[in-house]
Amino acid sequence: MKIERQIILSNSLVMLLIALMRAVGYQSLSVILTKLRFVEIADDLNAGFLETRLSEKNYFLYADPKALEAIGQKLASTEEAIDRSREEIEAAIGPENLALLRAKVRGYQLALAALPEGGRGDGKAEAVLRARGQDLREFSGTTTGLERQAVNRIIGSAKTVLFVSFVAFFALAFAVSHFVSQRIVRSLRTIEALARSISQGSFQQLPRREGGDELDAVAAALSSMSEELEHREEQIIQARKLASIGVLTAGVTHELTNPVNNISMIAQTLAELHAQLPAEKQLEMVGQIDSETDRIKRIIKNLLDFSKPQGTRLAKTSLNDLAKKALPLVQNQLTVSNIELTQALTEPLPQVLVDEHQVQQVLVNLIVNAVQAMGTGGHLTISTRATAGRVELSIQDNGQGIAPEHLPQIFDPFFSTKGTQGTGLGLSVSYGIMKNHNGEIKVESRLGVGTTFTIGLPAV
Amino acid sequence: MGAHRIMVIDDERIVGEMAKLSLEAEGYRVETFVDAQPALARLEEATFEVIITDYKMRGVDGMEVLKHVRKAHPNVKVIMITAFANLDTAIEALRGEVHDFFPKPVKLKDLKASIHRALDPTERAAHE
Repeated sequence: MKIERQIILSNSLVMLLIALMRAVGYQSLSVILTKLRFVEIADDLNAGFLETRLSEKNYFLYADPKALEAIGQKLASTEEAIDRSREEIEAAIGPENLALLRAKVRGYQLALAALPEGGRGDGKAEAVLRARGQDLREFSGTTTGLERQAVNRIIGSAKTVLFVSFVAFFALAFAVSHFVSQRIVRSLRTIEALARSISQGSFQQLPRREGGDELDAVAAALSSMSEELEHREEQIIQARKLASIGVLTAGVTHELTNPVNNISMIAQTLAELHAQLPAEKQLEMVGQIDSETDRIKRIIKNLLDFSKPQGTRLAKTSLNDLAKKALPLVQNQLTVSNIELTQALTEPLPQVLVDEHQVQQVLVNLIVNAVQAMGTGGHLTISTRATAGRVELSIQDNGQGIAPEHLPQIFDPFFSTKGTQGTGLGLSVSYGIMKNHNGEIKVESRLGVGTTFTIGLPAV
Repeated sequence: MGAHRIMVIDDERIVGEMAKLSLEAEGYRVETFVDAQPALARLEEATFEVIITDYKMRGVDGMEVLKHVRKAHPNVKVIMITAFANLDTAIEALRGEVHDFFPKPVKLKDLKASIHRALDPTERAAHE
């Protein structure tokens, strides 16, 4: 599900919960309000009944007809009050109880009317009046008391609902944010890992997930960027190779000059002396021309093999063999610059699984760099060795060395100390190639002493 | 007066071979070397009038041959041939007082003309 939708959904859930809490609270408050209004009215009625009963008492004590009149008036005003507040009372205690109250008031009035005119009778009617007054007073008091209790109960339960929903709200909010953030963090970690691997030159791609969330979309974008970068790196490798070819071609041109001169001299000699040379000698010379042509073919093939764009093809080989194949390509650079070469190739050497052309390109790069660092008359040592589970090849020169402040940058793309001579891509491409082979490339250098580049690969 | 003696030093064996065939047909006595070290040793035993040497060789190279000859045998003419012809090598060779300097591929005709000039007594007199 999309993160956006998840957030909207969880927010809506929280909002709904809040609304529910409010609704329950509102409902409770309305009930409380109704009950309180009733209690207020009931208090008035109670007071009215109390006064009625006081007048009743006065009548019985003093047989005062004014008291009787007062009772009538009080009852009438109480009835009026009941009629006035009929709705509130009905809402609070229900229509049955209201009817009951009315009936009790009516009963009391009837008992009052049944009193003997102007004096005391057998006391029976008085007893009824007393009993009904008592009953009315008790009913009213009990009902009010019950309503008061109800108000307290409602307030209590409203408090509980509030507390429970408060806890539920927090729990839900926490759970939702935890879930969403976990998902986001997990996706971000994947993206971070991918970004890191890209920065280290390994252009892996994530499996595409259909209908993923926004972060999946970011990961997919990063993934296709990685793919694009891989493609670009191949182009850079090829561009760098072409730059190397520029350097190598200068050497190769010189290398070609010797066999061309040989053929030319044989041809000139044959032209001069064909009349006096024996046929066998002439035939031998033609054979020499042929083998010098083969020599030219080999030199050109070497360069062509190196310059051809190649897809990655892994094969088991020995770093010693790769060094031996790379050296003819740079032999002329060494000769021109009067560089003495020492080969310290350990035999036997465990094999490595590599793309021969790419690793050969790394070796050519490193040797050409070494030659440029040494100028004229240096000493180059190529050595190989096996270490625990790995095979290493070092190219050591006694050139000018690399300044310590430049060492951390030398594998960065476009970093160069050679000015217009360098593209700044050789070492970064070499680094990329070694990374792609699960290998590494290290450098040790001291100014004025020299530099050693070491490539390492897992043994197979 | 015997034939003129010419020494050819080039690590390309064919250069020596062809120079020997061609120059001996002209009546010169030619000795060839693919390595400068024994060539310099040979100079101590026999007298050569012209040395043709390659510029770039493994071990002792043409410039060292030139310097040694200029010092130890100042009368011997050195002709330098090279596959690595550029302005720097040419200037270096001239400073070392080379008699002539040919980039490969070499024309035998030009080489012979140069040898001829080197051996010409009037040229030699003018030079000395």
